[in-house]
Amino acid sequence: MRHRTVLEYRDYRYLKFAVFVVLAVIFAYGWYKYPLGHYGGTPLGYTLGTIAALLIVWLMWLGVQKRRYRKTGDIKGWVSAHIYLGTSLVVTATLHAAFQVGWNVHTLAYVLMMLVIVSGFFGVYTYLRYPALMTENLGEDTLEGLVLKIADIDREARRSALGMSDDVNRAVLASVQKTRIGGGVYAQLRARVSACPTAAAVKLVKTLATTVKGEAARQHQELYSLLLRKERLVACARTDIRFKAIMDIWLYFHVPLSIALLAALVAHVIAVFFYW
Amino acid sequence: MKTKIATITRNKKGQPVSAEQAVAAETLRIGRGADCKLHLSDPRIALHHAEIICGVDGVSYIEARGGTVSVDGRPERAATLGPGQRIHVGPFEIVVLPAQNDVDLALSVELIDPLKDDLAEVQSHVQAGLRSTWLSKRSLSWLVAGAVFLIFLAWPVMNALDRGHGKEVAKMGLTADASWDVGPLSSAHASFGSNCSSCHQQPFVHVTNAACEDCHKKIGWHFALETKEAKALHTGVFGDTRCSSCHRDHKGPMGLVRSDSPLCTDCHQNLKSRHPQTGVADVAEFAKEHPPFKVSMLLPGKTGAAAIVRVPQDDKTRFVEASGLKFPHDVHLNPKGLRGPNGTALMECKNCHVPDETGTRFKPVTMGEHCQSCHSLEFEPKSTTRQVPHGKIADVIATVQEHYAQVALADTPIDVVLEDGVKRPGQRVGDIKREAALKWAGTKADKITQELFEVRVCFECHQIKRGEVGTEPAAQWQIAPIAVTQHWLPKSRFPHSRHGTYKCESCHAVAKSKKSADIAIPDIKNCRECHGGNVTSKDKAPGTCETCHGFHTGSPKSGVPPMVPGGNQPKLLPKTAATSSFQPAQLALQTPNTAGGAPQ
Repeated sequence: MRHRTVLEYRDYRYLKFAVFVVLAVIFAYGWYKYPLGHYGGTPLGYTLGTIAALLIVWLMWLGVQKRRYRKTGDIKGWVSAHIYLGTSLVVTATLHAAFQVGWNVHTLAYVLMMLVIVSGFFGVYTYLRYPALMTENLGEDTLEGLVLKIADIDREARRSALGMSDDVNRAVLASVQKTRIGGGVYAQLRARVSACPTAAAVKLVKTLATTVKGEAARQHQELYSLLLRKERLVACARTDIRFKAIMDIWLYFHVPLSIALLAALVAHVIAVFFYW
Repeated sequence: MKTKIATITRNKKGQPVSAEQAVAAETLRIGRGADCKLHLSDPRIALHHAEIICGVDGVSYIEARGGTVSVDGRPERAATLGPGQRIHVGPFEIVVLPAQNDVDLALSVELIDPLKDDLAEVQSHVQAGLRSTWLSKRSLSWLVAGAVFLIFLAWPVMNALDRGHGKEVAKMGLTADASWDVGPLSSAHASFGSNCSSCHQQPFVHVTNAACEDCHKKIGWHFALETKEAKALHTGVFGDTRCSSCHRDHKGPMGLVRSDSPLCTDCHQNLKSRHPQTGVADVAEFAKEHPPFKVSMLLPGKTGAAAIVRVPQDDKTRFVEASGLKFPHDVHLNPKGLRGPNGTALMECKNCHVPDETGTRFKPVTMGEHCQSCHSLEFEPKSTTRQVPHGKIADVIATVQEHYAQVALADTPIDVVLEDGVKRPGQRVGDIKREAALKWAGTKADKITQELFEVRVCFECHQIKRGEVGTEPAAQWQIAPIAVTQHWLPKSRFPHSRHGTYKCESCHAVAKSKKSADIAIPDIKNCRECHGGNVTSKDKAPGTCETCHGFHTGSPKSGVPPMVPGGNQPKLLPKTAATSSFQPAQLALQTPNTAGGAPQ
């Protein structure tokens, strides 16, 4: 059976619900006539604002829910509802604001909400795209498995380089001691390393292999294939780390922005009723 | 050279274990290479790292080749060896031992910096997962949310609760609660700027009517509240409606005042069914469902509220003015001109109808300013330029009598003058002579006065009829009371200044008007030629209720009720001498029942 994503959960149950909510909100907005026009402070405006605020709080509850040991309901269902109802906020909140924007806390809350939603969209995109790419990249393997294999290659390469020229030996040692996999935020997201010692060693050994003959040539050939294998494993490891980082990085926007949204939402509501 | 090399390794307890070997060679090669006598198998050692050479004088020295060497901590290209010296070759430490009898040189070699385990080495260079970096969702969340909370909530609240707080910051142009502003203030309130508490006087409490009335003291109700019924009706209709229910600020310069037609038509399109006692017709919109205009006309000889009558324009019998004056517009607007004091003059509307200071309406036309230059009140132009006063009949009669008496008596001196021309002081002219002179003067004055009131001058403009014969002179004529209506449509606001591109006659058909009874106020059709209804159209100007009407047209809490906000109600001109009951001939007006102060 084909793997069903969170988007398809229970035959698009929450998509249908969200579409219903959006259509109801649009219909109410079109049908409702207020003498002073649409704005957040009309009865409909207050209603939409309340719906949007409650939705935001509920959506953030998912964050708490995920951290709990005892799960309430199916977490997949929660995520599916989170995605669709979160998306429906775009319409509900926009119509609550009646397309009015300004340099104020009210628009700040709106903008933060939109940023949270957009970052969430990216999150959905990563969850849909990257697991398959990760499988394609590693197959049955894991990052830990790759590290073990790389360590084995290192040992072997080092040993065979002992009997070879200083240049080769130094290049192999650098490959062992200075090949970084992952690293900081940027390194993890980028994956490509411009001056990778392993790549340099591969290049050097390949060049030297053509200049020697006999036993030395065979030694170079063996070392070359070892280093080449290592290079591929390192690339796989780096790519794996990159995919994981991409799947993670949006949360570093999504979560802090949603907490900031909560603060802005509280400020928005208090500001509105403070100066009623 | 014979060399003894003790290779030291460590057992599990870390104790040294020595394995000795003797090497005989002139040059002791040190390196990773297979040909090296001192073979150091480590990738950090060069193939041919260094050499120990025995000199001719029996002194040994070390020389770096493919790698680097340090002796007692100092990097050296070459150094003489002596007992106790510690030579570092890569990760190895070579100690020169004290001289022994059977060898030229004794060395101990120990790997003091072994390579890491390969797996540990690789793992030490793997950094996976964003958690392993400086990024922290928790810290970022606290940082961003904290900033939002402080700047957009805590600061404004503190500022609002303590007005003195943050004055220094405000000087820099930063206002704590500026971020709470939902939109620009109306132009009328723009001067409040960031002083939110002008209107928002208490936190979490709606803007009160009292806050509005602090400034808007004389704002009127929707209709006059002079009677109990009117008050009850007002309470029933508007109940607890707050000012801000309609007047929502922070909606831009023009946003404070509602101009939507439903504000009016929600009630007024079915007003009669809601309030059967009303005198106001149902109105759904301007273009098709607005009743004919009603003019507010002054009635002559009445005072107070009874002096004003509301007449629909389609009521032909009542839609006539009783101003008490004769004024044919057609004569005055004769395109060939009029004979005036300075020759022939072409008159225009603006000669008499001068816009007031607001440009909305016109200043009253007065005899002195607008008529008298042509319509002189000279009563004997052949002999004098003297004019009768424009006022009471008695004053007119007195002026004329005074003039002719003066003329008659001027030729009849008081003192007796003898035939020889000698005056006799104290001796008076005979009464007969004086009486004869005064009789002439009285007869002449009566004749002229009668002419003034019945043929020319006064009669030219005023409606005058003879009084009872034999009464005192002032009661011999009755001048119709003057009732010149100044503002015909006081319940609308028609700014003449905004219609200045049109000629007067395009709305006011006066060119052929022969009588002052004609009312030249344009009817609704005239307005509809340019103004559309509630729905905005491309080819018509707006025609919403608010285009012409105001809402707060009733009585304010204090002061005199205006008929329109800030507008003129018809004013009674000063009464003429006539306090008579004489009504101008054309009129037979009825005053509708306006008792009760109900909306009209």
